[in-house]
Amino acid sequence: MAGRTLQFYSFDAKYVEDLCAGDSQTQEHFVAYFTALLKIKLRSRLQSFHAIDDVCQETFARVLQVLRRDGGLRQPESLGAFVNNVCNHVLFEYYRSSSRSESLDAEGAPEPAATGADVLDIVSARQIKENVLIILMRLSKRDRSLLKAVFLDERDRDEVCQEFGVEREYLRVLLHRAKQEFKVEYVKHIGNQVPLNADT
Amino acid sequence: MTAERYLLNELTPDARDAFEEHVFDCPECALDLRAGALFVREAKVQLPDFVASHPRSGMAKARGKRTSWFSWWRPAFAVPAFAALLIVVGYQNFVTFPALRQSANEPRLAPLAPLRSATRGATRPTFTADRTHGVALPVDLVIEPEMAPAASYSFDLRGPQGKLVWTGSLPATAPGADSDQLFSLDIPGGMLQSGPYSLMVTGVTTQGGRTPIEQYNFDIVMTN
Repeated sequence: MAGRTLQFYSFDAKYVEDLCAGDSQTQEHFVAYFTALLKIKLRSRLQSFHAIDDVCQETFARVLQVLRRDGGLRQPESLGAFVNNVCNHVLFEYYRSSSRSESLDAEGAPEPAATGADVLDIVSARQIKENVLIILMRLSKRDRSLLKAVFLDERDRDEVCQEFGVEREYLRVLLHRAKQEFKVEYVKHIGNQVPLNADT
Repeated sequence: MTAERYLLNELTPDARDAFEEHVFDCPECALDLRAGALFVREAKVQLPDFVASHPRSGMAKARGKRTSWFSWWRPAFAVPAFAALLIVVGYQNFVTFPALRQSANEPRLAPLAPLRSATRGATRPTFTADRTHGVALPVDLVIEPEMAPAASYSFDLRGPQGKLVWTGSLPATAPGADSDQLFSLDIPGGMLQSGPYSLMVTGVTTQGGRTPIEQYNFDIVMTN
């Protein structure tokens, strides 16, 4: 269970060394931490979950391959930038290959069912749901409709703002406040127990 | 606010790339972005239910209202309510209505007090009144020759805290005449309370034009 709890790692020489040496705890952290970020990055660029997963896996494989081959990074603190860079390359290759042949990106493919979810995952997911529910309930009906129009209906932002009689800045501030409120609970109540891949 | 712009897809491709490069290197910003992305993702799941649940909750509210309306007929509420109602009806029949009938059919005595216009530098008088008799105020309007002839006079009585407690109008006894006009303002004791009062008199012409004529300021002291 200890390996599944949130621990604050710093990306330094020791971390990269452990990663190269195949330390399971470090590897688990590495994959969980960057999976979350990679998925956020890739969601705006790829349509299907399969394609996102494929790009993620390929990114990790290449990063670990390079680290093991070269025995680490010249600047271990820039591990994150390195992962992002590798992901950009993989993504570029993916775009190229998908334009030539059948795409990995199966448009509209359903999200694969989560596997290996244990009690902790379920409890964490429930806490996340409850926290978001509370925040949404605190919002005014208009603000909820605004968020729905933007994120769910994916309507044109300017059109939505005009319809609701608000500035674009209002939308940003609304999201910022909701996010900050959620973040407090996320870190306080869930962060200490949540597996790092719970939000992937 | 860059994380919010990122989540709202408002960044240019270059700015988006730069932000991602930073986020991958900065655990603090990464946590911030993850929290935001997770909130948005979960909100997208919950918002449709939220919107859909409104009509249901509205119906539930209506059901609740119907239940609470009928609950008034339960004996626990109905018996004391009817008892209170009987007391009110009895008091009105035996006390209030006879008193009103008497006051309507009999001559009424009220102390008469002289009222001087504030605009003429008069000191502020104090009148003593009680609930039974109220107070009668003679209003002596001095009409200046240069004033537009009034067809009627409007009266605004303001009580303590400047609240308008009564307004009324009276036709001018001799429209266009430049002589003084005398009225009597009887204020029943029921609408009086101790405190400062003011009476503003405005002349109203046939065309609807309004000209302030006098303001009377006075204090009322209730004895009961």
